[in-house]
Amino acid sequence: MATKPEPIPSPAQGVGPIYRPDGEKPTATVSRDVSYENVHVLPQTPQLIALLTMIRDKKTGRADFIFYSNRIIRLLVEEGLNHLPVVEQSVTTPVDRAYLGVKFEGKICGVSIMRAGEAMEQGLRDCCRSVRIGKILIQRDEETCMPKLFYEKLPADIAERWVLLLDPMFATGGSATLAVEVLKNKGVPEHRILFLNLIASPSGVAEFAERFPKLRVVTAFIDQGLDEKKYITPGLGDFGDRYYTL
Amino acid sequence: MESISPFYSLTPEVRYSPPWQNLSIIGIAGSSGSGKTSVAMEIVKSLNLPWVVILVMDSFYKSLSPEEHRKAHANEYDFDCPASIDFDLLHQRQPQTTTLYSPRVLILEGILALHDPRIVEMLDVKFCGMSVKEGGTLRGSSNSGLTMSSHHTIDMSSPNDLFLHIQRKLQEKSEQHTEELRKLGFLAAEVELPPNVHVMPSTPQFLGMNTILQNPATEHVEFYLGLLPKGTVSAVAILRGGSCLETALKRTITDCITGRVLIQTNEHNEEPELHYLKLPAKLEEHATVMLLDPQMSSGGAALMAVRVLMDHGVDENKIVFVTCAAGARGLKRLTAVFPKIKVVVGRIEEEGEPRWMERRYFGC
Repeated sequence: MATKPEPIPSPAQGVGPIYRPDGEKPTATVSRDVSYENVHVLPQTPQLIALLTMIRDKKTGRADFIFYSNRIIRLLVEEGLNHLPVVEQSVTTPVDRAYLGVKFEGKICGVSIMRAGEAMEQGLRDCCRSVRIGKILIQRDEETCMPKLFYEKLPADIAERWVLLLDPMFATGGSATLAVEVLKNKGVPEHRILFLNLIASPSGVAEFAERFPKLRVVTAFIDQGLDEKKYITPGLGDFGDRYYTL
Repeated sequence: MESISPFYSLTPEVRYSPPWQNLSIIGIAGSSGSGKTSVAMEIVKSLNLPWVVILVMDSFYKSLSPEEHRKAHANEYDFDCPASIDFDLLHQRQPQTTTLYSPRVLILEGILALHDPRIVEMLDVKFCGMSVKEGGTLRGSSNSGLTMSSHHTIDMSSPNDLFLHIQRKLQEKSEQHTEELRKLGFLAAEVELPPNVHVMPSTPQFLGMNTILQNPATEHVEFYLGLLPKGTVSAVAILRGGSCLETALKRTITDCITGRVLIQTNEHNEEPELHYLKLPAKLEEHATVMLLDPQMSSGGAALMAVRVLMDHGVDENKIVFVTCAAGARGLKRLTAVFPKIKVVVGRIEEEGEPRWMERRYFGC
């Protein structure tokens, strides 16, 4: 967590278990570090890097893209849940011994930013069986070129819940920022919002983390930057197209 | 602007025209700097609908000859003069057209928007000769010398009257649409369920699953459906509910190409409204396109969704409408208008059963 999000190249490092010497590990591009306490990047394990390599490859077809991005989404959801509060819970095992553990506390819900965010709903359902899921549709306003809220359907009691906000690609962050504003207007306190994301741009995520210092971002990878069309580079193209229609 | 020719089904009297076929056009004229653009923007804001398109007539100025160019630079060319606007171009369609799918309100804005009687003829609301008072409020002065059918002039002492007038106009059209849907229901009520409606056989397994589904104590809802692939099979989910069926879809066809269309029923007048549309490329080449909606009662959204697919080149007989539960009247209405589509329905529900499945699936 030392480097600043300036135009420096993404770090490359040997990827593999710690006990293996560096010379024996293959070198791969890994996520950039950001110095924000509220941004959590998944550990850059060989698994994660291999999965990301699959979905970034333009030759990867839809079936593989869906399968591998679902696996990353699963990792994100599992990590996201680690940021929810738990309380001590003691249970008795079938051999009549006590085990001191924890249990989840507090109600949650998912909110997907349509359309790409909807691809992350199943991963959340796989971990949280009957989770409530709201949806937000944000589109670019043709007149102002600004993101505009077109539709939202959220749980009525959302203000009492932890919200896992789902959007796989975070470029400029316009949609995510508006979505957070919508949630805050519904009474959701900022510290109870977790933003789950696959790939973020360094500038976007930095701005977002500063604007909403109490919200937590869980991302798999902070990428190199943005191109002139505001696409994340090297990125993976349009996630929604590759997942749903290409 | 591509206008869509009306579709006629085999039974000539049973047809459905979506609301965007009855486009409302609002003309705003007025001299340069009188605030046309801001009124147009205000209208868009007050309507707060995704189906409003502004067409600025300045884009229709005739190409200037070198002589006219010189005049324009010398500030002698009168851009406000009717001769400077290519009304023929505006009236006809341009050779290269950009397709705008399903707008319901088009705002035509320009200095001379109300000049050509052919265009005035097409307008639903005409509004002209506006200027801005010092205080910033809008004042109407309808006698600014422009061609204008006087009986449609509205007193524009405040822009709110204009907005209300437009809203009333749109309301009338909504009512027409809802009324048409209602009539289709009556027409269809007499007919037996046609053979292209496939009701799932009531096996003990299936009845058991339905029992779980309908049990209010059921916490978690899952759907299973069997499918036959032949060529490319794609799906279009009618949101929000349609995404309930996507899990089952992905379990049967893991990489099924999936389009999405968001149709919401207006709470006030029960009219289905098309909010969002994202369809796969070359959808018309697919062997089968499934339309997914967990529940269908009146069939208004289903009619609209089928129509949207057909407008995008999908053959009627390639469409399979998949739903867990549907009312008989809605089914008959849908199959009367589109006799060649296939329908797979899990359970025939009672008439007027509210949409509960997506509410329970998403928990909100």
